[in-house]
Amino acid sequence: MNTDTKPVMFIFDLDGTVTSEETLPLIANHFKVEEEIENLTKETIQGNIPFVESFIRRVFILGKLPVSEVADLLETTKLYPHLLEFIQTHRDNCAIATGNLECWSYKLLQKIGCAYYCSDSIVENNKVVKLTKILRKEQIVENYQQEGYKVVFIGDGNNDLEAMRVADIAISVGTTHYPSKSILPITDYLIFNEEALCRQLSQLL
Amino acid sequence: MSSIKSVVISCAGIGSRLGLGQTKALIKVNGRSLIAWQLELLKEVEDIRIVIGYQANDIIEEVLKYRNDVVFVYNHRYFETKTGASFYLGAQHGNDFAIEWDGDLLVHPDDVKTILNTEGEFICYAEKSSDEAVYVQTDDKGNVLAFSRETGDYEWTGPACIMRDKIKYSSGNVFNQLEPYLPLKGIKIRAYDIDTYSDYTRVMEITKNWI
Repeated sequence: MNTDTKPVMFIFDLDGTVTSEETLPLIANHFKVEEEIENLTKETIQGNIPFVESFIRRVFILGKLPVSEVADLLETTKLYPHLLEFIQTHRDNCAIATGNLECWSYKLLQKIGCAYYCSDSIVENNKVVKLTKILRKEQIVENYQQEGYKVVFIGDGNNDLEAMRVADIAISVGTTHYPSKSILPITDYLIFNEEALCRQLSQLL
Repeated sequence: MSSIKSVVISCAGIGSRLGLGQTKALIKVNGRSLIAWQLELLKEVEDIRIVIGYQANDIIEEVLKYRNDVVFVYNHRYFETKTGASFYLGAQHGNDFAIEWDGDLLVHPDDVKTILNTEGEFICYAEKSSDEAVYVQTDDKGNVLAFSRETGDYEWTGPACIMRDKIKYSSGNVFNQLEPYLPLKGIKIRAYDIDTYSDYTRVMEITKNWI
């Protein structure tokens, strides 16, 4: 139980944290651009390519795809059911921070049902024509902290590193794949099982 | 056991006094790593929190062979802290009561059951067996009145159970964290810790037929 006087805000990474499959390979397979994407994803997760560079390259490859079709596809991404239940039960204390574009992810995020923060773009003729904002997750953490929240960040990748460093409590998850080694030195709790994660989140409420 | 208790297993230390070149959680006792022993003895416990530091990745790999629903708690400052810091870190966001469990302590399986079935707060101790022990002084009902480096009726071994919110950050040992709350109920158990190589060979013999 949270004996602190501050309310708790749980901020979740999306891919591999709330979803039990990565969204990028899902798009790549569906639209047959696996080869281009696969290597980029692997290198990014391992921290070999900086997240921002990887993201720009990714949008360049996938931006040509029909946006509405990508959004429909991502809406079907598998989610962790107990974690989803936790988020929906405590939706005012949960938020999702994903580097993915809002135009691709909004249907999935609305289905999850809590506040969400994404990267932004301009869409014309059902295609991404310009990237306008790349989400810096640590800014979301700082905003909530300034509003008086104790922030718990739950993530698994190198692009969660700064947000986890700034957060009051950093939880690394290895439920979908082993978390990036780069985040372990700033991790408070490391959890590999959905039930154990939900138990820890409830203990932090 | 009561579902409101967490068990905090401290495995963050270097184990330098033992001299086997690896953290004590990974040394083999009768074919089984010490952490595997703990997971077997504590398999009924829902909320296990393993505090890791030195050789963390190796301990994680070993634990995941047995169960994946534990919470790993990092003590990044393992080099300059002692068991008190690990217990605090392991317990602070767990259940209302925390049982501290040294990763290098082997408790007889029957006594593990007693510990897990005991309600409320308590301190466990054993017959004196180590050279450099901390002792407990008890009353005629076995309650713990004091800890002492010099003299006492029994040897302090742990485990101990206390309300989470009473556990303060400490640069010292777990018994220092318990001292302000004495007297506390005492439980005499059969327990052996492994600090030195002679402890290690002795415990190998004692625990031969335990599991």
